[in-house]
Amino acid sequence: MIEFQNLTKTYGPLRAVDGLSLRVERGEVYALLGPNGAGKTTALRCLATLQAPTSGTALVGDADVREQPLVVRARIGFLAASMGLYERLTPVELLEYFGRLHHMEGPALEGRVAELTHMFGITPFASQRCGTLSTGQAQRVSVARALVHDPPALILDEPTMGLDVLSGEVIYRFIEAERDRGKAILFSTHQMAEVELLADRVGVLSGGRLVAEGTPASLIERTGERNLARAFLALVQGDDGSEGEGEDISPEEPA
Amino acid sequence: MSIAWVVFRKELRETLRDRRTLMVMVAIPILLYPVLLIATEQFALMGIRRIESEASEVAVTGPASDDLMEFLAADQDLELLDVPYPVEAIRSEIVGAVAVFGPVAEEGGTQRATVLYDAADERSQRARTVLARALRSWDDTLLARRITERGLPPGFADPLAVADSSVARPEELGGYTLGRFLPMLLILMTLLGTFYPAIDLAAGEKERGTLEPLLTTPVPPRQIVVGKFMAVALIGVVAAALNLASMLLTFQTGLFQLGGSLDIEFALPWGSVLLIFGTLIPLAVLFASLFLGIALRSRSFKEAQTALTPVYLLVMVPALLPVFPGIGFTVALAAVPVAGLGIFFRELMAGSPALVPSMVAVATTGLWAWAALAFASASFGREDVLFGVGDAHVETGGGFRERLRRLLGPVSDTPSAAQAIGFVAAVAVLFFYMGFPLQAGWGERGLLLSEWLLLLLPAFLFVGVAGFDFGETFSFRRPEGRKVLGSVLLIAGGMPLGWFLAWAQGFVLPIPWDMLEGLEELITAESASRLLWLLALLALTPAICEEVVFRGVLLAGIRGRASAVRVAAFNGLVFGAFHISFESAFRFLPTAWLGFLLAWAVLATRSIWVGILMHFLNNGSIVLMASVPALRAWLEDGGEAPPWVLLAPALLAVAMGVKLLGGASDDSKMMGDAADSN
Ligand SMILES: Nc1ncnc2c1ncn2[C@@H]1O[C@H](COP(=O)(O)OP(=O)(O)OP(=O)(O)O)[C@@H](O)[C@H]1O
Ligand SMILES: [Mg+2]
Repeated sequence: MIEFQNLTKTYGPLRAVDGLSLRVERGEVYALLGPNGAGKTTALRCLATLQAPTSGTALVGDADVREQPLVVRARIGFLAASMGLYERLTPVELLEYFGRLHHMEGPALEGRVAELTHMFGITPFASQRCGTLSTGQAQRVSVARALVHDPPALILDEPTMGLDVLSGEVIYRFIEAERDRGKAILFSTHQMAEVELLADRVGVLSGGRLVAEGTPASLIERTGERNLARAFLALVQGDDGSEGEGEDISPEEPA
Repeated sequence: MSIAWVVFRKELRETLRDRRTLMVMVAIPILLYPVLLIATEQFALMGIRRIESEASEVAVTGPASDDLMEFLAADQDLELLDVPYPVEAIRSEIVGAVAVFGPVAEEGGTQRATVLYDAADERSQRARTVLARALRSWDDTLLARRITERGLPPGFADPLAVADSSVARPEELGGYTLGRFLPMLLILMTLLGTFYPAIDLAAGEKERGTLEPLLTTPVPPRQIVVGKFMAVALIGVVAAALNLASMLLTFQTGLFQLGGSLDIEFALPWGSVLLIFGTLIPLAVLFASLFLGIALRSRSFKEAQTALTPVYLLVMVPALLPVFPGIGFTVALAAVPVAGLGIFFRELMAGSPALVPSMVAVATTGLWAWAALAFASASFGREDVLFGVGDAHVETGGGFRERLRRLLGPVSDTPSAAQAIGFVAAVAVLFFYMGFPLQAGWGERGLLLSEWLLLLLPAFLFVGVAGFDFGETFSFRRPEGRKVLGSVLLIAGGMPLGWFLAWAQGFVLPIPWDMLEGLEELITAESASRLLWLLALLALTPAICEEVVFRGVLLAGIRGRASAVRVAAFNGLVFGAFHISFESAFRFLPTAWLGFLLAWAVLATRSIWVGILMHFLNNGSIVLMASVPALRAWLEDGGEAPPWVLLAPALLAVAMGVKLLGGASDDSKMMGDAADSN
């Protein structure tokens, strides 16, 4: 469903993403790991057609981000790391707006908005302006916004950033539910617990390159470490300690 | 449903929930025009009330005929009193003026009479005018009597009677006065109406991170931008319409015409109203596309504000054009964007405008709007303008946006030197064309108005619209007590030194003493309440308004670009230059010196309050001195050297002031610079 084909994105001399190739199938959850500055956001933004790849490409279904950006956009739900909501709209108005931008209207749109507000527990603050929502409430609205058109592929850049355990739980349950409905889900994160809980497969990015890929268990096994966090550390430090990326990693809680 | 329409509706809904936009769009137009009218009326009323107030007390001494005394007693405007000592009576304000008659003339001769009055007292001046008018009419009566006595025709002594009469109809008169200001207001309010929405809808979307989700929806960017453009343009049109409506309601219906005292009849036929509104639409389109096109290229709210402000100020210049005297409605001017429309409005309000330039103005406005729209949509089409700008990282390489940014200077909390100097230049032009007429027309009140409206208000607008930091730009900071003392010493010593400077300059640049007498009359207070008024007018007002412009905006723009001495000197020079007018070149040096001292102290304390205090002390003490008779003698004796004994203490005070200001301060580096070059 989601496929990167040797995708490279450079900023001047910097190769932010360097020859990335990976696939995410329907009904699969794929977690993208990597230290700060590894290129996760850049890769996801290229996939979401927000940035043009320097070379290589990415596909959603059979649609190429370069050739059919509008088709790609119709098939993805994208949640940016810097979630932005229109401060002076209410969550319901916001969801309706994005629904209309996805060419939905009438009862179908209303029904979908009602479903999402219920699913993400938005109802209590559904008529409050987005500018007044708490971080967790806003994040839930953001996720709902990305799903309004019920896309077959989900691209989530750090979906649980800034959420408490409870709100995080809402997102986990939703990701699992969507996987069970046959969606392809690609998300980036720094939370190892999250990865172990959700991910069918993991890709580790470092310095723009995919340095390891596999199930969480296989990565632990391959590195011979105790848990995923240690495996991750071993992978990124072993790979490019020369680039000095190692010290960028924030300490993770062991799972 | 079309996507552009969806975007348009959403943007409109969101904008209408923005308090700031609503303020500009609704509150300001509703308040502006009534307040303008009421203020104008109050000023006019004040003038009338003063002239028509109670009768003037006068007296007559010497051999005046009984006929004349009867004639004067019958005059409603005069109250005839009996006073033994005319001069003392005037001084002690018992009477305003006294006519002293000379010896009675023989048959057919001339009897002389002198009217005594006090030129420094307004009431006395009024009494003199009324008395002289009465005496002149008595003179006419006597002449007529003589002519009839000799059997001559009544017109004998008046071979040619000249009278002038204006051919302007009343509505033309009213329209003319208003017509100079209202077009400018209409255009500026339309401009202001589109300013914030354009920024909010373009750069605001990037800043709040809402652009990315928006751009991952399956709609062409152009559709989004068309929707945004329609929203901004509509808001501009609505702002224009509300302004026009409020203006008409205020001036045309007489709803607010309290006393009807104002000789302004402002009648705008419905055809003209429609015409004005119709042409405001392309104007709103012009502004909307211009602003949106630029705002789309900016990364953040602040950056957009900084990029748009010069454009805003640039548009203000042609909008101001119709206000200037001597600007005719030529075809060439009609084709100038914004200005043509402004002059067209002016002519429309004053009566019937010339046909050809009118058509040119309307047609070219449409053309300009179309060109701006093309410019905007060219940038809408370019995806690089929309894409990749939204993220927080800095793209390497310099696109158009980068070049534009460099052109406009860095985004910062305070204006750049060029921006600050440009602003002062604009204010100087404004002051020249509007301040002087205000002062000529309304005297002291005009002076007061011109300071607050043409200096303080533009300064706050400039900083607010450009999005600079108020505290930083205006140096709103509490000064240390020690430094306040230092600045007081500095001005205490600086004033006598300025006096020496003026005196020395007198050898090169002669001082026009006759003009100074008028000035002295202005600043001489005879009563306590008058003194208070003079202090407010001549000391407090300039202390606040001029400081905000010169030690606020200007100094914020230039400080740190050179050593403190140079910065202060430059500031002083500009301050001095601002005070030059045709006849008062002599004020340059003393004023520049004052400006230098003020700038120095504000640099040292980073507090404008110190500048305001010093400025007030300087002007206030001049007003006080002029009111003390003994000190006044000095001022009157122009050309004489100031007392040399002052020199030593003055120098000492300045030295101590500088030391106190420059001691162990957190700005020691800057003051160190200053001290070195001193
Ligand atoms: N617009 C840009 N211009 C220049 N460099 C950029 C730009 N966007 C990203 N970069 C650089 O590309 C590299 C990858 O950045 P990216 O945001 O993809 O990292 P990330 O893996 O998402 O990191 P994090 O975990 O901190 O979110 C970084 O070195 C970053 O500085
Ligand atoms: Mg990231």
